[in-house]
Amino acid sequence: MRTLLKAIAGERAFKAATAGALALLSLFFLGIILSILSYTNWDAFIEALLSPEILFAVRLSFVTATIATALSLLVAVPVAYTISQHSFKGKDLVDSLLDLPIVVSPVALGAALLVFFNTPLGSAIEGRPLSFVFAVPGIVLAQFTIISALAVRLLKSTFDNIDTRYEQVGRTLGYSKAEVFFKVTIPLARNGLIASAILTWARAIGEFGATVTLAGATPLKTETLPAAIALSLSTANIEKAIAVVLILIIIAIAALMTIRKAVGRRTPI
Amino acid sequence: MIEIKGLSIQLGDFSLSDINLEVQDREYFVILGPTGAGKTVLIECIAGLRHIQKGEVWLGGVNVTRLPPEERGIGYVPQDYVLFPFLNVAQNIAFGLRRGKRPRQEIADRVDQLSRLLGISSLLERSPRSLSGGEKQRVALARALAPSPRLLLLDEPLSSLDQQTSKRLRLELRRIHQDTGIATVHITHNQAEAEELAGRIAVINRGRIEQVGSPADVFFYPGNQAVSDFIGAPNILECHCCEKLGKGLVEVKCGDLSIVLPHDGRPVRRIALSPRDVYVSDVEPPGPHDVNRFKGIVTGIRLFGASVRVEVSAGSERLLAEMPYDVYEDMDLDIGKEVYLILKLRRIRVHEDKAAR
Repeated sequence: MRTLLKAIAGERAFKAATAGALALLSLFFLGIILSILSYTNWDAFIEALLSPEILFAVRLSFVTATIATALSLLVAVPVAYTISQHSFKGKDLVDSLLDLPIVVSPVALGAALLVFFNTPLGSAIEGRPLSFVFAVPGIVLAQFTIISALAVRLLKSTFDNIDTRYEQVGRTLGYSKAEVFFKVTIPLARNGLIASAILTWARAIGEFGATVTLAGATPLKTETLPAAIALSLSTANIEKAIAVVLILIIIAIAALMTIRKAVGRRTPI
Repeated sequence: MIEIKGLSIQLGDFSLSDINLEVQDREYFVILGPTGAGKTVLIECIAGLRHIQKGEVWLGGVNVTRLPPEERGIGYVPQDYVLFPFLNVAQNIAFGLRRGKRPRQEIADRVDQLSRLLGISSLLERSPRSLSGGEKQRVALARALAPSPRLLLLDEPLSSLDQQTSKRLRLELRRIHQDTGIATVHITHNQAEAEELAGRIAVINRGRIEQVGSPADVFFYPGNQAVSDFIGAPNILECHCCEKLGKGLVEVKCGDLSIVLPHDGRPVRRIALSPRDVYVSDVEPPGPHDVNRFKGIVTGIRLFGASVRVEVSAGSERLLAEMPYDVYEDMDLDIGKEVYLILKLRRIRVHEDKAAR
C-alpha cells in the first residue's frame, strides 16, 4: 500500500514537473510578445511601417528569400532523395558535410563566403555577371547557403517516410525510375515539400549573420528586415525596430499557420 | 509462360538458392511456404524489383533477367495493397493506363470494365483511405490488371483480410482467373487457400523449393519431411477396397482398419487426416457405434510446441494424434498404454484413384 502511494505520488510529481516546464516556456514566449505589443506606439508603428526604408526592406527580404528558397529546393530535392534512398561509400561523410551549415554560426559562414570571393577562384566569379560582395545577389547566396542544408534535412525525413513499395508498384505499372519519381514520389512527398518550403523560406527571411557579413546592411540597397532591426537599434530608433520585429513575428505566425493548414489535411494511409 | 532457371540471391543471412520453376500459360500457380521462407523475395525477383545474382527469368519465351520491372509486362499486387493515397479509386485503376498515348475514352472504358469485373463500380470516386480491406484488395487487383499484363503476381493477397472476406475473395480470384485466363503466381502461407485455388503448388522452405505438384500430390505424397511438417504432418493411409454404404458414405480398408467417410466418386486411394483431428481417449468412448474408433497402443510421446503428439499403433497402422498439453496431463498416458482413437469423420481428406502415380 505504502509503495503504491509512493509510486502514485512520484508519478504526480513527475507530471507536475513536466507540465510546469511547458507552462513556463509558453508564458516566457507569450510574455515577450505581449511586452513588445505593450511597448508599441501604434502611430509610430504605422509611420515606421510606411517609411520608404522599411517598405524597401520588406520587399527585398521577400524577393531574396523566395529566390533562395526556390534555388535551395531545386538542389535539396535530388540531394535529399539520393541520401534517403541510396547507400553509397562515404555517405556518412557527405551527410555530415551537409549538416555543417546548420551547426556552424551563420556569421562564420558569411565570413567564409567573403573570404572565398577574395581567393583567385572567387574573384574570377565575382562580377561575371553577378556581384555578390555587398550586393543583393550576395543576400540570396548567403540565405541559400544557410537554408539549403536545412531543406536537405527536412526533405530527407520526408523521403525516409515514404514506403519504397509505392515506387515499386509504379514501376510494375510501366513507369521508369524517373517517371515514378515525378508521378508517385513527389505527390507522396507533397506535405513534406510544402512544409519544408515554408520553413526554409521563413528561415531565409530571418537570416542575418551570414547575410550582413557578405552583403552588408546598406539602407535602400542591401537592408533586409533583420538588418533593419540592427540598424534601427544602432541609431536608437526603438519604434522602427519594434515595427520590424512585429512584421517578422506576423510572418512567422502566418508561416506556421499555413503549414498546419496545408499539411494537417492529409494523413498517411 | 514463366521459366525460372537456377535463380539464386543472397540477402544478408537469407538466401534463395537454385530455384527452378515453370508456370504454364493460363495456369494458377501457388507458392506455399511458412513466413520467412523467401516467397516475397522470389516474387520480387520475378517482377524485376530485385537484381538476382545467378540464374535467369524467362517470360513468354523472352529472357527478362536484365529487364527493369516496367518492361516486363507484369501485374503486381503487393501485400497490403499499396494503393496511391493521393489518387481516388478510379485514378488508381487508371494509373498504369495513363502512360503513353491512350485516348481518354479508352482509359475510361477499361476502368469501367475492370470495376464491373471486380464489383467496385460504386467506389470509383472514393479515396483509398475510406475503403475496407477487401475493397482495397479489389482495387489493387483492378489496378494490376488494367494494363493487360501477361502475368499476375499476388503477394499474400488474402492474409490480412478477415476470414469471411478472405473466403469470398478466394472465389472471386478463381472467377477472375477463369474470366481473364491470365497466368497467375499467388504466394501464401495458407494451406486451405493453396488447395482451393492452385492448379499446381510449389512448397518453399528456407529459400528452397521442396516440392512442385498438384494440390493432391503435395498433400497426399509430401516429398519430404519438411513438406510433411509444413502441411501439418498428416496421417496418410494407403487404402484398398471400397464399399459404398449409401447416403454419400463409403467404407474403406486401410491396412486392417476399416474407416467410414463421406465420399462420392471414384475409388479411394489414400486418405489423409491431420493429427489435430485424431482424438485419444484412455477409456472406452460411450455410444453404441464403433465407427472410426480403434483400439491401439501408445508407441511414442513427444512435445510439440504447446501441445503433445502421441503416436499410437492401431492394427497394422501407426497414427499420430495431437492434443493440448493440459489434456495430455489429465490423461496420464504412457508408452505401452492401451487407448482408443476416434477419427473426426468430416476432416478426412480423400485422394481418388485418377491421379495415381
